[in-house]
Amino acid sequence: MEPLPRLGYGLGLRPVYYDEILSTRPAVDWFEIISENYMIPGGRPLAMLERIRADYPIVMHGVSMSLASTDPLDMDYLNALKDLADRVEPAWVSDHVAWTGVHGLNLHDLLPIPHTREALDHIVERIARVQDFLKRRLVVENASTYVSFTGSEMDEWEFVTQMAQKADCMLLLDVNNVFVSGFNHGFDAKRYIDSVPVDRVAQFHMAGHTNNETHRIDTHDQPVCEEVWSLYEQARRRFGNVSAMIERDDNFPPFDELLGELQRMRDIDAAIAAQAPRSAA
Amino acid sequence: MKLRELQSLFQSAVLTGDAEDATVLDLVAQSQRSDRTTLLGVYVNAYRIRLSEFLDEDYPALRVLLGDDAFEALVEEYIAANPSRQRNARWYSTQLPNYMQNSDNWRSNERVIGLALLERGLTDAFDAPDAQSSTIENLAGFAPEDWPRLTFSFHPSLRILELPAGTLDIYAAATSDEEEQIPLPAEGLETVAIWRAEYDPSYRALDADEFLALNEAIAGSSFGDICQLVAFQNENQPAPERLAQFLVSWFSEGLVTVVSIAERS
Repeated sequence: MEPLPRLGYGLGLRPVYYDEILSTRPAVDWFEIISENYMIPGGRPLAMLERIRADYPIVMHGVSMSLASTDPLDMDYLNALKDLADRVEPAWVSDHVAWTGVHGLNLHDLLPIPHTREALDHIVERIARVQDFLKRRLVVENASTYVSFTGSEMDEWEFVTQMAQKADCMLLLDVNNVFVSGFNHGFDAKRYIDSVPVDRVAQFHMAGHTNNETHRIDTHDQPVCEEVWSLYEQARRRFGNVSAMIERDDNFPPFDELLGELQRMRDIDAAIAAQAPRSAA
Repeated sequence: MKLRELQSLFQSAVLTGDAEDATVLDLVAQSQRSDRTTLLGVYVNAYRIRLSEFLDEDYPALRVLLGDDAFEALVEEYIAANPSRQRNARWYSTQLPNYMQNSDNWRSNERVIGLALLERGLTDAFDAPDAQSSTIENLAGFAPEDWPRLTFSFHPSLRILELPAGTLDIYAAATSDEEEQIPLPAEGLETVAIWRAEYDPSYRALDADEFLALNEAIAGSSFGDICQLVAFQNENQPAPERLAQFLVSWFSEGLVTVVSIAERS
């Protein structure tokens, strides 16, 4: 399969910003959509996407593939996803290391799994089948979690590393999720970043979360916090110029604020590049 | 424990709202910062909050009509009775009016169900399939002798509902930016067309003869047959004139997508 492109600095495409994006054509390199929001028959969302797609690369990010569920893969969902991918021609398609329900139900949440060899074999097999069906390499994201399981047999970073290698998929490293899960479960987020294989990471997510003191929740309704910016810098030093973006899903600020966060990414990356040893002329 | 069993137990705790489920808590690792019930509770609470948000988003006028407490009781009831089988959250709220029609608590409240049906219709129109609307100028291309055999295709978003009288006024009052008094219940029924005009859902009341004409036209009846039906029902105004008014509205509102001539039978 072709290597995934380096798209630069992107934003989550949300309806509240459609008009501003179309009228100002902001300096954003690409947009990521929530796939399910466009898996509908027609109307404004698809029309806006088509117009924005004319000017910007698009990545499709799903929340319902339920890769870790022990229910059968939902082929109706996958067919609809494939139809959307055929229409949008995204740079790639992504979803999560998570399950959303069993027994035919959907809890509309990214639910946690124990990091066991059984779960690993299970998700690897399903990612491989989805990749065969979609005829494209999947990009799979580490989810924020609030519980971990006593039955886990390995650390999360070991799980995602083995998953990516065995399924031959790519990883979407959500830097905020690493931080949130690290806080909630007491693992070292820096160690996580340093353990994930460089050649498997295709994308970064950055987002804000809610600090409930005893635990943190991945709400995407706040600016990125300083601890996550610090992790971002570490990730950038390790993974180089993979495509990166800001997710915002609630408490929407003026669009300029999101552009400001993108600029902060660019500034961090420029500072890292300036520090890099120059090769001999 | 096998992954399948763990997922079943975890899901059951979330669905029943039991963050103290001892079987599930036994599977959850201790945290240095928080107790396990609080952490499992994040999933339990998020489930209800998320599904409530889907309903809130699609039934804003219903919340106003019922008031916050009654609306939230309805939402809680619906969530408890209807765990989602939808892969896409978009369709979770769709069955709310049907649920109310079949519920002992709600089935006699026709006014409330009528408003729910209207709001569902508007949500469905929002993302119904696309189609290019036809213009009235296209009619000029047909010879006068062919007009009785004209048939019409309509925008896929178009739906016709029969609702309790006063539903549109309730909706208008409930969604007004001004604080408007919700109208009192009225007797009888009103008929409503709902469709999408470009990107936004639209609606309007239909008089009895337009309701008949539009229903017939949607069913594929020819212009001539529709004229006869309307003439039969409406003795006060000549049918061709009335039909011409309807056609002008249907075209200007973007309801008609294709005009064709029916084969002679």
